[in-house]
Amino acid sequence: MDFAFTKEQLMFKKEIIRFAKKEIVPRVQEYDLNEAFDFESFRKLGDFGILGLHFPETYGGSGADVVTTVMAGEALGEAGVDGGLTLAYGAHSFLCADTILRHATEEQRQRYLPKLISGEWIGCMGLTEPDAGSDVASMKTTAEKKGDKYVLNGSKIFITNGPIADVAVVYAKTDPSQKHAGISAFIVEKGTKGFAAGAPLIKMGVRTSQTSELFFNNCEIPEENLLGKEGEGFNMSLQTVEWDRSALLAPFVGAAKYMLNSCADYARKREQFGRPIGKFQAVKHKLANIRIFAEASQSLAYKIAWCKDQGRPLNHLEAAVAKLFVGDWSIGPANDAMVVFGGYGFCHEYNMERIFRDSRLAPIGGGTSDIQKMIISKII
Amino acid sequence: MNYDFSEKEFTLFVDINEKMAGLAANGQLDRKDPAHNKENIKQALKQLAQTPYLKLGLQPVDGYQGQLSWMGAAETLAAVSPSAYLAVEASTRLFGRAVNEWGDSNQKSKWLTPLLEGNLIGALAISEETLNIENDPLTAQGERQGESVAINGAKQYVINAPIADWIAVAGTCDDAYALFLIEKEASGLTVEPAMETLGYDGTPISGIRLEDCRIPNEQVIFPPADIDMAEAIRMWENQILLGAGLGLSKAAYETARDHAKSHRSGGKPIIAYQEVGFKLADMLTLFQTSQLLAYRTAWTAETSPKEAGELLLCAKVFCAESAEQVCSEALKILGGNGYITGNSVERAYRCAKYVQIAGTSTEIGRVKIGDAALGYRN
Ligand SMILES: Cc1cc2nc3c(=O)[nH]c(=O)nc-3n(C[C@H](O)[C@H](O)[C@H](O)COP(=O)(O)OP(=O)(O)OC[C@H]3O[C@@H](n4cnc5c(N)ncnc54)[C@H](O)[C@@H]3O)c2cc1C
Ligand SMILES: Cc1cc2nc3c(=O)[nH]c(=O)nc-3n(C[C@H](O)[C@H](O)[C@H](O)COP(=O)(O)OP(=O)(O)OC[C@H]3O[C@@H](n4cnc5c(N)ncnc54)[C@H](O)[C@@H]3O)c2cc1C
Repeated sequence: MDFAFTKEQLMFKKEIIRFAKKEIVPRVQEYDLNEAFDFESFRKLGDFGILGLHFPETYGGSGADVVTTVMAGEALGEAGVDGGLTLAYGAHSFLCADTILRHATEEQRQRYLPKLISGEWIGCMGLTEPDAGSDVASMKTTAEKKGDKYVLNGSKIFITNGPIADVAVVYAKTDPSQKHAGISAFIVEKGTKGFAAGAPLIKMGVRTSQTSELFFNNCEIPEENLLGKEGEGFNMSLQTVEWDRSALLAPFVGAAKYMLNSCADYARKREQFGRPIGKFQAVKHKLANIRIFAEASQSLAYKIAWCKDQGRPLNHLEAAVAKLFVGDWSIGPANDAMVVFGGYGFCHEYNMERIFRDSRLAPIGGGTSDIQKMIISKII
Repeated sequence: MNYDFSEKEFTLFVDINEKMAGLAANGQLDRKDPAHNKENIKQALKQLAQTPYLKLGLQPVDGYQGQLSWMGAAETLAAVSPSAYLAVEASTRLFGRAVNEWGDSNQKSKWLTPLLEGNLIGALAISEETLNIENDPLTAQGERQGESVAINGAKQYVINAPIADWIAVAGTCDDAYALFLIEKEASGLTVEPAMETLGYDGTPISGIRLEDCRIPNEQVIFPPADIDMAEAIRMWENQILLGAGLGLSKAAYETARDHAKSHRSGGKPIIAYQEVGFKLADMLTLFQTSQLLAYRTAWTAETSPKEAGELLLCAKVFCAESAEQVCSEALKILGGNGYITGNSVERAYRCAKYVQIAGTSTEIGRVKIGDAALGYRN
C-alpha cells in the first residue's frame, strides 16, 4: 500500500485553493443569498481547466487522472467554495459531459465537449422523475422511434443545471415493457421543440445550483442523438455512479477541512468567560469530530478514485460505503461547526449554516443513504 | 498510490489465521484460566514466530512494509483471538520495541532475540496511580548503588505481569527516563494477583510493586535524551489498540453477517429485512472506514513518523468507538444467541470498551486533536 500523492498533485491542489479563494469565494455569499447561479465563477472554473480536468486534450481537457480530479473537488471545498457551485460543476462535468465522452459519436464529442469543457455551454443530466427516484427503473418518460427521429414524452425532476443547461443527457424508456433493460440515453439540446425546463426549485441548500423539472412534450430529436444502443441507458447511468462516489463526494471532504480551519480561527479569537472558547474542552471536542470526519472521508473518496485510475470495474460495495459514510456521518461535524460559532454560526455571514445546509444533500442526492444500505446488504 | 496489500502480505494474513485457528478454537485463548494462560500465550508466540509477524515494525523483513504490513496482520490476529493478540503485542511491540529502539546490542541479544523466537514473554509497566494525560513525571525511581540500581515504585494494570519472564518498568534514574528490566523471580518485585476484567479474559493483567528491587546496571535502558519516553510508549500502545479495534470489528461484523445470511425468520434469511441488512451496512461502513484510516496511519508512521501523531489520534478515536458500535449492533443481530456467554461477538463487545479507555483515551484523544487544530501545544 502507498497513500502518497505526487508532488505535482499537491502543488496543483495548492494552486486551486489559491485561485478559488481569490476568484470565487468572495462571491459565494451573495449568490447563495440570492439563490443565483454564478455564471462568472463557472466560466472561471472552465478557464482554470477544472471543468475538463480528466477529459482528453483533443477536446480541450487536461488528461488528468481521477485522483487529481477528485483532488480538485476537495480543494474547491477546502477553499470555501459553496456546495451549489461544486454540485453544478459535478453534474456538468461528470454526469453530463463524461457520459458524452464515453458514449457519443466522434462528431457529437466534437460538437459538445470543447464548449462544455470551457464552460461556454452548461450541461445537465436527467434521470430522476416525479414518481421514479430511488426506483429509477420505474421511469415513465418514453422515447418512441418514428422514422429517423425519437419522440420524447414525459418529465424529469430535481435536475441540477436544468434551467440553465444548453445540453442535457436524458434517460427515457425505448421499451416501456421492460424495467432496466428498457432504458436508453439521449442528448437533447436547449431550444429543441417540445423541450422546456421549469422554474428553479427553492431548496434548503446548494442554493446557487439551479434545480428544476424538465418537460418533454412530443419533443423530436434526431436518431443519432441516441447514446450507444437502445437499452444501454441504465448501465451508462451506473458508470456515472463512480464519479458520484468520488469526485462528487470530494467537495464535502474539502468542506470539512474548511469548517475545521474556520472553527479553529474563530475559537482562538472568540472570548467568553475571560478566555478564548478554544480553551474549553467542549469546543476542542467539536473540532476533533470535524477533523476525524475529514480524515476518514478523505481516505474513502481517494480509494474509489484510485481504483478507477487502475481501470478496475467499480466495486459497488466500496462505492456505497463511501457514499453512505459521507452522507450519514457528515451531519454531526457540520452541526458541530455551526455550534462552535454560537449565534453567529446560525447567521449567514459566517458561512457555517450554509455548509450545514449544503451538506444535507449528501444523504439524498445521487442515491439516498437507504439505497446505499440496500446495495451493501445485497452484496454482502 | 496503491490501496492494496501485496500477495505476500495476504499470504501472511492467511498463514496467521491458519496457524492460530487450532489454538484459538472454542475460545480457548480467551478464557480466564490462570492455570493455562501462560502456556497458551507461549504456544501462540511459538506459532507466530514461524511467520514474520513478530518482527514486523521492529526489524526490516524482506517484502513487507513494516508497520503497515503489521497493521493488516494485527487485524487478523486480533480477530482470531483478542486476548492472545493483546498479550503478544504487549510482549512484542511494547517490551520488545523498547529494547529494540533503545537497548544496546547486548541488551538486544539478551531479550530481543529470544522474544522474537517466541521463547520469552515480556511486559512493559508504565501506568501509575498518579499518572495523567499530561505525562506527569513517573514516580518509579531507580537509585544507583555502585554496580546496581535499587528500584522503588508501583505500577497498575500491567498486561502480562502475571505471566511475564521479564518486566520492563518505566521510571527515572539520574533525573532521566529509564527502563528497568526485571526478571520475574527478582527479589523486591511483587506481582499482584491477576485482576478480574470486563473483557480480554485470556490476557493476564495485574499491578506490580517494587521495594528496593536491585538489578545490575546492564539491566537499565536509557532512551536518548531527546525522546519523551512516556509519550512514545503511549503512541505504541495506540498503534496496538488500532489493531485491536480492527480485529474486534472484523470478528463481530463477520459473525453477524454470516448469522444474518443463514438464520431464517418468517421464511427468509434475516438479512433480507432492512432492520437487519441495513444495520450490517452501517457496521461494514464503520469497519471499512476504520481499516482505511488505520492503514493510512500505519503507512504514515512508516514513511513520515513525525507527521503520524495527529492522524494516529484521529484513527484511535474512530476505530475504538466504531469497534464498540459494530460489536453492539452485531450482538443484536445474533439475538438471544449473542447474549449467551462465550460467543465471539459477546466477547468482542466486552473487549471493545478497553480499546477506548487504554492508551490515549478517546476523551484525551479528542482534546489533543482539538489542541492540534487550534495550534495549542501541550
Ligand atoms: C439538489 C438535488 C439535486 C439533484 N440533482 C439531480 C440531477 O442532476 N439529476 C437527476 O437525475 N437527479 C437529481 N437529483 C435527484 C436525486 O437523485 C433523488 O432525489 C434521489 O435519488 C432520491 O429520489 P427521490 O427524491 O425520488 O426519493 P424517493 O425515492 O421517493 O425516496 C424517499 C425516501 O424513501 C426511501 N426509500 C426509497 N426506496 C427505499 C427502499 N427500497 N428501501 C428503503 N428506503 C427507501 C429513501 O431513502 C428516502 O428516504 C437531485 C436531487 C436533489 C435534492
Ligand atoms: C436566532 C437567534 C435569536 C437570538 N435571540 C436572542 C434574543 O432575543 N436576545 C438575546 O439576548 N440573545 C439572543 N440570541 C443570542 C443567543 O442567546 C446566543 O447566541 C447564545 O447564548 C450563545 O452565545 P454566543 O453566540 O455568543 O456563543 P458563545 O458564547 O461565543 O459560544 C461559542 C461556542 O463556545 C462554547 N463555550 C462557551 N463557553 C464555554 C465554556 N465555559 N465551556 C465549554 N464551551 C463553551 C459554546 O458552547 C459554543 O459552542 C439569539 C441567537 C440567535 C441565533
